Amino acid sequence: MAAQAQLVSHRRRFLIGLALAALLGAWLGAALLAGSQQAERRDRAERRALVTLSSLTAVLDRTSGGSTQEAAPTETAQAPAASPGTEGGMGLGAEIAAAEQGQAPTSADARGEAVRKAVERFAAAHPEVGAIRVVEFEGILLAASTAPSDRGAKAAPRRLERDEKPLYDLGQRLRAAVEGNRQGAEGAARQPEIGVARQPNGVLILTAPVERGGEVIGMVQMETRAVPEPAAFAWLPFLAAWLAPVLGLLLLSFALGEKRWLLAGAAALVLILDLFLYGRYALQVLAAERRASTQAVAAQIGEESKKAETLLADLSLSPNKPAGQPLAPTLWDVDLFRQSRGLIDASGAPSEGRLGELAGADAGRMTRSVAVLALVSLALLAFVGLGWAVRTGTALVEYRVAYAYTLPASLGMLVLVFFPFFYGIALSFTNANIYNTDKSIFETFVGLQNYIDIITDFHVAHRTAEGLVWDYHNFYYTFLFTVIWTVCNVAIGVSLGLLLALILNLRGFALKPIYRVLLILPWATPNYITSLIFKGMFHSQFGVINQILEMLGGHAVAWFNRPFTSFLAVLTTNGWLSFPFMMVISLGALQSIPADLYEAARVDGASRWQQFRSITLPSLKPALVPAIILSVIWTFNQFNVIYLVSAGEPGGSTEILITQSYKLAFEQYRYGYAAAYSAIIFLILLAYGTWQNKVTGATEAIG
Amino acid sequence: MRPNRSEEPAHWPLHIFVLLMVLITVYPILWVVTIAFSGGQSLAITNVPANATFGERLRAIVPWPAHVSATNFVSLFRDQPFARWLLNSVVVAGMTTILGVALACTAAYAFSRFRFPGRRVGLMAFLVSQMFPGTLMLIPLFIILVQWLKLGSTFTGLVLIYTVTAIPFCVWMMKGYFDTIPKELEESALIDGASQATIFFRIILPLAKPAVAVTALFSFMTGWNEFIQAATFMNREDMYTGPVGLRFFVGGFSQQWGYFAAGSIVAAIPVMALFLFLQKYLVSGLTAGAVKG
Repeated sequence: MAAQAQLVSHRRRFLIGLALAALLGAWLGAALLAGSQQAERRDRAERRALVTLSSLTAVLDRTSGGSTQEAAPTETAQAPAASPGTEGGMGLGAEIAAAEQGQAPTSADARGEAVRKAVERFAAAHPEVGAIRVVEFEGILLAASTAPSDRGAKAAPRRLERDEKPLYDLGQRLRAAVEGNRQGAEGAARQPEIGVARQPNGVLILTAPVERGGEVIGMVQMETRAVPEPAAFAWLPFLAAWLAPVLGLLLLSFALGEKRWLLAGAAALVLILDLFLYGRYALQVLAAERRASTQAVAAQIGEESKKAETLLADLSLSPNKPAGQPLAPTLWDVDLFRQSRGLIDASGAPSEGRLGELAGADAGRMTRSVAVLALVSLALLAFVGLGWAVRTGTALVEYRVAYAYTLPASLGMLVLVFFPFFYGIALSFTNANIYNTDKSIFETFVGLQNYIDIITDFHVAHRTAEGLVWDYHNFYYTFLFTVIWTVCNVAIGVSLGLLLALILNLRGFALKPIYRVLLILPWATPNYITSLIFKGMFHSQFGVINQILEMLGGHAVAWFNRPFTSFLAVLTTNGWLSFPFMMVISLGALQSIPADLYEAARVDGASRWQQFRSITLPSLKPALVPAIILSVIWTFNQFNVIYLVSAGEPGGSTEILITQSYKLAFEQYRYGYAAAYSAIIFLILLAYGTWQNKVTGATEAIG
Repeated sequence: MRPNRSEEPAHWPLHIFVLLMVLITVYPILWVVTIAFSGGQSLAITNVPANATFGERLRAIVPWPAHVSATNFVSLFRDQPFARWLLNSVVVAGMTTILGVALACTAAYAFSRFRFPGRRVGLMAFLVSQMFPGTLMLIPLFIILVQWLKLGSTFTGLVLIYTVTAIPFCVWMMKGYFDTIPKELEESALIDGASQATIFFRIILPLAKPAVAVTALFSFMTGWNEFIQAATFMNREDMYTGPVGLRFFVGGFSQQWGYFAAGSIVAAIPVMALFLFLQKYLVSGLTAGAVKG
């Protein structure tokens, strides 16, 4: 052993460990950085395209006459209002005034003509723009189009055709979004007001609503090439981040020698320092990217506003005249809600304040990423450096046959059972719901809030004039109900099953095989079918159970109107389908008891009861105990019966924990809260399993 | 030897009890058959008038349709897409069986025969995974399979889920059975020069036939009878499995009890037949590991 220890070089181990850990950290970091860079550049291309779109809508608004809304409403809080005259509809008076000046279109036809001309000119001035289509909702009219397919017989203006319905539907969705957002309540999820579809070849299809007098009357769709500039992978910083710490540790190790824990500390420090510095570098790269984006957008705005002015002048519409509304190009840098991003200030230059805020947010995200990276890399470092890797490797080689046999099953379990499980646990610490599924776990993190909400809610019941009223949605009520449900079911299952097994095991009992097959039928019936059958049989009006009651002189019962009768219904259903399992298990165990045990007992003069107590029950135990444990867990989680028979009626009073959490997730869409609820269910079952295992030693067979 | 008759209790009260239980057991099944062959969609066997006599009320609960007709079965396959749904179920359950048996046998064999680091942890992990609440898994599984792996509405996605659902139980059961097979058999085979693979395929697996049968049955039933996950992951109507389709007939505001009953019979017959056919193995497989203790 001592001789072996001499052979182990801690220095070499830690150097190799650090090389691997730094490679992992630097590679993951570089990949993350490249990803965000790519995202920023895509964003930049998209923002520039949106500026063009804003310019197009501004031009259209002026040519179609009447509308004053640009793609960016000017009432946004963060942007200084461009001019006081830009709000509200132009109104009839203004239209008449414009008509008197002889410049504005005087009729719908003339207006359509002007729109078509403007669209054509706009397309001519923008080589990157592929096709522009303008749709008016009134009359489902294609008002203008520069698409190559809309020539000749299909030239605008014309009605939209049947196969163009998706286009019209998209417009209606945007209209609904605009109206919903405008009257939207506080906190309601906002809907995007601009449609963005990305084609694989880098073409963006942008769709914006066209408004007149504050009402959405149509839409404009623009296809434009928006290819992000490719970001080159930064090899030099990556190599530096990988190799610098290894070199550093190499130099340090000459001083440290073979001292294991000193080496470990040094390696960890070097690694953390390395990742920290790489994080700082990445932050600078990102900040530069953001600045470049904003500058590019500012340049685009300058260019576009010039083009728009020229265009409007060409169309003999002074940009300032018709309604006294100048173009407000500094608001053209919009997000999908047509709100100005506020990154361009009124003078058209990048806004330093907003950029600073974004940089702060970036820094926060970066700190978290670096922390995660550091944890992962440190784990790898420890794994290799402390010699666990070698030991694992040895074990893998030594027991390779065993691992090969278990690998497929274990891999499947890891990917599709354990990983989702831990992901679900992570979700339970967030307020994830249907409106924020695109956000990461870190952004929706709320800590233990869900657990606290569930566990500290003690409003199990309250007093009213009619007495005590249970609050059926309270966790403790549902828990209590689930326990009663489980105990009753398992008691019914075990007693009926055992009783029938004892009877069928009697020697010389006639028709034994036939009984056995018939009694096994409920187990063989799929339980969702059983549940739906009983749901039908318990129907209050046509159900056969009420008809039996009436035949016997009773009254029909509305089973699912009262908690107790509803409970009886689900209990009957589950009792029916669960006793055969216990019966079969008990029967199998009974048959395996050697007959000579009873023979010997009889010879010794033991009574039937004594035989049962001292021979039958102990022999049943090894088979029955695991069966009961399984049955408790199955019943506790018996989703189908509750969900399909009573569906929790009335008012959620017969809901068990598992169906309640399903409803939280898939009817209320509170994913985070439902995940916390499920995690608590798991903890309850785990506690039960541990306790049961202690009491019975059911898993000692692991050996 | 002849049992001492005087010691045995009289059997006829027990027969009455067992017969009552059989009646309770069989009645719902007869009821479904009746509705299926009634030719209508109602859940009542006959219409009961307001002031019905005892005879009329008795008629209403006797599981025999007023008019025997197979129209529900015919239109189930002709007018409804039930054949397609059934085929989907066959494919999914069949693939689950093959994959489940293969994975469970190999893993259980290793857990039973080899002592290796991670064995206890692995066995415990398989057991603990049985306690994971399905709803806790459903959202993450949806994200992984549908959003990451793009396996929504595919057989592959559903088969993978069903297989891992079935594996822990199958592994534990197979392990229990393998434990009862004497090790000497393998040792002598080893001495005769058999390879590890030969021992597994030629000696152990044939001996473990009952347990394999139960594993196969369990895997098949997992795939054939499951409906929450199928309903969550199969969004396209032509990819519905049998259970999702059946629920379609009587879920929500739909009240097509005739189609439901006929479809239930068609969907339940294969599993019930398999189950009854293999139940001998099932009992011995379930109890073998446990009784041995």
